[in-house]
Amino acid sequence: MKNKIKEIRNKHGLTQEELANRVGVRRETIIFLEQGKYNPSLKLAMDIAKEFKIKVDDLFFY
Amino acid sequence: MTLKKYQRIRLAFTAIIAVIFSYSIIMENFFIPIVTLLVSTLILWYLRKKVSGVIADERDWQAGGKSALMTIQIYSWIAVMAMFLMYSFRDINLYYESVAITLAFSTCILMLLYSLIFKYYNKIKLTDKKTLYFVITTIILVIMFLLTLRIFSGEDNWVCSDGQWIKHGQPDYPAPQIECQ
Repeated sequence: MKNKIKEIRNKHGLTQEELANRVGVRRETIIFLEQGKYNPSLKLAMDIAKEFKIKVDDLFFY
Repeated sequence: MTLKKYQRIRLAFTAIIAVIFSYSIIMENFFIPIVTLLVSTLILWYLRKKVSGVIADERDWQAGGKSALMTIQIYSWIAVMAMFLMYSFRDINLYYESVAITLAFSTCILMLLYSLIFKYYNKIKLTDKKTLYFVITTIILVIMFLLTLRIFSGEDNWVCSDGQWIKHGQPDYPAPQIECQ
């Protein structure tokens, strides 16, 4: 599964550390997510989407 | 407290526990490592609460679950093979049999415990504080019960056999002066 986390995070001017703190995960998890090496749980996916005020569908795609 | 500081302290505690365990095994004293382990666990538990950042998240839990299963499988295979090997060489050294039995029982207990936890993990919320306190208290009580049995069992004494006083266990006093009949 691919995602646009890095792109949208940069648009919002957030660092990986800041995003990690906001959604309650470690920075390494954000790195793995951005590299497409980890598929998040539904809760984390929704938390990230909520943080960016977009739909989950707009953030993750096949 | 920052996460890095906590991790450094945890690493230091691990090293200290390892040194104390090694020293205690050489000195044949088993109370010091138990006390050290309990105290360290409590201190780390307290420090864990003071950490401001996220210590572990869902990725760690996922990896932890898979790692635990893999560790159990690897340990079980090694322990079973070592057990058969030790048991077949029990005539060479009597201690091999004890080691083989210990390995067999430890493997059985480990697999039984894993099966039980796996079965009830989703039914009982281990993250619930009341359940967690209950589990911890039960474990401490079982340990204390076993220790009490060991201390007051009277197994460490001198036994009279064929007119001689023979050590049974590790008595902390010299052999009786009276004649053994």
